[in-house]
Amino acid sequence: MPREAEISSNEREFIQQALHEGIRIDGRAFDEFRPLNLSFGDEYGVADAQLGKTRVVAKISSEVTIPFPDRKFDGVFTITTELAPIASASFEVGRPTEQESLLSRLLEKAIRRSNALDTESLCIVAGSKCFALRADIHVLDFDGGLVDTCCVALLAALRHYKRPDVSVNGEDVKIWDVREREPVPLSILHYPFCVTFSHFRGVEGSELMLIDANAAEEQCREGEVVMTVNKYGELCQIAKYGGATVDAMALLNCARLAAEKVKVLDRFVTTKLDQDAKKRDIGGLMAELKAENER
Amino acid sequence: MTVKDASLSTLQRADGSAKCEHDGYCVIGAVNGPIEVMRRDELPEEAAIEINVRPAVGVGSPTERHLETLLQSTLRRIIRVETYPRTLIQITLQVLSVPDVKPTPVSFLAVLPALLQTSLLALLSASIPLTTTYTATACAATSSGDLISTMSLTSAATLASFHVFAFTAQGDLLLAESEGSFDIGIWNKVYLTAEEICRGKPTDAVEDIIMDQQGNSLQERLQAAVQSKVEADRRWKSS
Repeated sequence: MPREAEISSNEREFIQQALHEGIRIDGRAFDEFRPLNLSFGDEYGVADAQLGKTRVVAKISSEVTIPFPDRKFDGVFTITTELAPIASASFEVGRPTEQESLLSRLLEKAIRRSNALDTESLCIVAGSKCFALRADIHVLDFDGGLVDTCCVALLAALRHYKRPDVSVNGEDVKIWDVREREPVPLSILHYPFCVTFSHFRGVEGSELMLIDANAAEEQCREGEVVMTVNKYGELCQIAKYGGATVDAMALLNCARLAAEKVKVLDRFVTTKLDQDAKKRDIGGLMAELKAENER
Repeated sequence: MTVKDASLSTLQRADGSAKCEHDGYCVIGAVNGPIEVMRRDELPEEAAIEINVRPAVGVGSPTERHLETLLQSTLRRIIRVETYPRTLIQITLQVLSVPDVKPTPVSFLAVLPALLQTSLLALLSASIPLTTTYTATACAATSSGDLISTMSLTSAATLASFHVFAFTAQGDLLLAESEGSFDIGIWNKVYLTAEEICRGKPTDAVEDIIMDQQGNSLQERLQAAVQSKVEADRRWKSS
């Protein structure tokens, strides 16, 4: 099926009319996320994020390679997002849609180019050996809010992942098996989260900004603004798509709101990670096994 | 050889979906169909079947394409394709996790039973008409002809051949794929073992490796998964 079934004009008008009256079709407030759920796999670096009916699994894996010749001190970090028909019949295999390229570009900007992951810490021997970290994002269910969900899943997976320990003795490098030495967590500098605002035109030229639109609302919107903020309120990137013009003051408002939302998201992910760590820490051995020093 | 966990209709968007854990491989699958088909894939008298296998890590490789061909030729005989001419039945299988201990050298067939099982459950969940159901299992043999339970492949150095079998609900052989070196005697032995795993056998002369923890066959296990789904769907009527 080459394209998504469009919603009918009646449905579109109903959604818009309801928004003008200050009501969303699923009864949420305008600045409210759908219920978010996060679970981790048995292995390190697998996170399953569910935002309403949208579901994304992120999986981190690593291998040892040669660093790029122009970046001798940096490891390699790649994010792969491929939408498959498992999420919606309108996603085709082998033919990237606009949505797919926008998604991967946004994640690239939000996580990779904002230097969330310290790639220098992935270097083993400068110029000859480094870790190549790979993040595979599998979208399993699609009901809008893809960027926000992917970002949560990816970040949670990165924070959950542990790479094998290495010991360097001159030119000799030993990669320790997970069973031999406790693997080490990645060094992550800050935790950026994406918040998507969907822009609707309200009554008498006023503007409506909706957080976390579902698939039906996404089809009716006139534009979207994606903001990436970390918990310190630092803005990492802004992207605006769609033709509608958005007022500068509205954007400032969005940034303020995004900073608030990100704090909640960050707390949620941290709690979930702590719960998972507690579950794995059988007999309280983790503190003895880990190699890193207390700061 | 054991189905640890099987559940139907786990996804919201797809017409039918299932998640299945088999031999440490966890696969989630979705079925969309019958849907509109691209002109070039359209078949005048039957439904076209499209299968996508996606690995847990990385993008698809020739291994996945080969698995897709195997699945396609198997499922074409199971799905009643003549019911929906000029349409498409789209099956997407996403491998979520692979076991820590893999048979070395890595067998591309090891994931096949999980893929087969998941696609069957997803098809059932999507209510696509089928001629029969099936069960699939994997079996490994050493060069001396001893069979190894696929769950304990730590001693993979001695592994000589790897086999995957699928049997229909009537007990007919549906798929037999093998790799490695073996002779017809070993194959026969593996075949009988696989049949017992899939279909179960009332005799007491069952070797310990083919005895499941619960002591029932794969077919009964899958039936239970489908039954629990149907019961959940019909609870409005039963209560």
